[in-house]
Amino acid sequence: MGHEWDFAFLLEQRQFILRGLMGTLYLSLTCIGAGVALGLVFATARLSSFAPLRLIGTCYVEFFRNIPALVQIFWCYFALPILTGMQPSVFIAAATAISLYAGAYLTEILRSGIQSIEMGQWEAARAMGFGYFGQMRYVVLPQALRNVVPPLTNQIMEIVKTTTVASTIAYGEILYSAKLLSDQEFRPIETYTAVGLFFIVALTLLSFASNLLERRLRCYG
Amino acid sequence: MEYHWDFGAVFRHSELLIEGAKSTFRLAGMAMLIAIPLGLASALLRLTRLPVLSWVAVLYTDLFRTSPSIVLIYWFFFAFPLIVGIDFSTFTAVSLALGLQTGAYMSEVFRGGIHSIKPGQWQAAKALGMGVVPALRYVILPQAIRRMIPVFFTRLTELFKTTSLAAAISYAEIVQMASRTASETFRPIETFTVVALFFFVVIFTASQAVRFAERRFAVPE
Repeated sequence: MGHEWDFAFLLEQRQFILRGLMGTLYLSLTCIGAGVALGLVFATARLSSFAPLRLIGTCYVEFFRNIPALVQIFWCYFALPILTGMQPSVFIAAATAISLYAGAYLTEILRSGIQSIEMGQWEAARAMGFGYFGQMRYVVLPQALRNVVPPLTNQIMEIVKTTTVASTIAYGEILYSAKLLSDQEFRPIETYTAVGLFFIVALTLLSFASNLLERRLRCYG
Repeated sequence: MEYHWDFGAVFRHSELLIEGAKSTFRLAGMAMLIAIPLGLASALLRLTRLPVLSWVAVLYTDLFRTSPSIVLIYWFFFAFPLIVGIDFSTFTAVSLALGLQTGAYMSEVFRGGIHSIKPGQWQAAKALGMGVVPALRYVILPQAIRRMIPVFFTRLTELFKTTSLAAAISYAEIVQMASRTASETFRPIETFTVVALFFFVVIFTASQAVRFAERRFAVPE
């Protein structure tokens, strides 16, 4: 309807936008790191020969994967403080919830990766005198990770997208900046289009990088 | 810290939550109705390899899969109505955003399923004198659909969880109603726990049912 597009004000507000970008980056990296760590722990638990550990792993996955990230964020931010008597910052609440959520998906990805490695590799590593952690660290994981590069990067992209949900509890990431900016400048079309484009470009680049990495690893495999 | 749990307060205010649960189902249903035909159309367009049409399908799936759902929801609620000059209800905006996004994911599910059928099947159908449409209808799709079922339902559960993001634009689904209930009863822990359990129970039972049906109707290949 003859809307005059004007993206120029975004440049003037670049300091503000940059702060939002840093917020997204910071939260994404934290959640990816914590999510992968949780995923490794629970994947080994799910593959353990000790039944109670397997049960804990399964419960973790089924529980955190089946509850929306938003509900978990709200729970961490509004409910948890009453139970523990400590009010976490919005960053801590969002990072905890998203890491737990992502960790459940990553558990399944890493588990399938570890399971794809033949028993012979474990046995060979044991024959060379590696303990359980040595077998995992030097023999199984390097091969397992290579097998799960596509689903792993896919999940990392999902994590980056999920960080936008943190805007609902007013954590200063890119979408929250956009919300403030669009209220201030009365330009919702340009701000939300810009945020959308940012994610489209960033994640498309990430998926290209992933394809490249996958091909690279296949050469040496 | 001692906390006295009281779910009674939540159940005394349960009309709000029940209303919200109904809206959640309505929203998921509407988005599904948009997503499935759209996904199928886009998958078939990609498979035709017609120059312009298949590029449009690729663009559509890539754009919608790389944008975060909540950004799409904001865009369809705050930006799109200004561009086209029609006011959207929150329901319309969210079902469009999530329907289009799920359609993009569905497109990949359908395409993957059809691709997984070996070329020999197409050739066999052709040798029997079938054209493209009968080959799809009688040979390819019956096999492809069986393989798509698990991913298809995973996508639907993801959609069901994503409807919670409608709360960000105050659509009265269950999370929005929970926020209201929490501020009325001063019982955020119990309310958000109930909502988390709602999602868990619905999705967990649905996915167990699918797993059961899959085993029940499995055909040896």
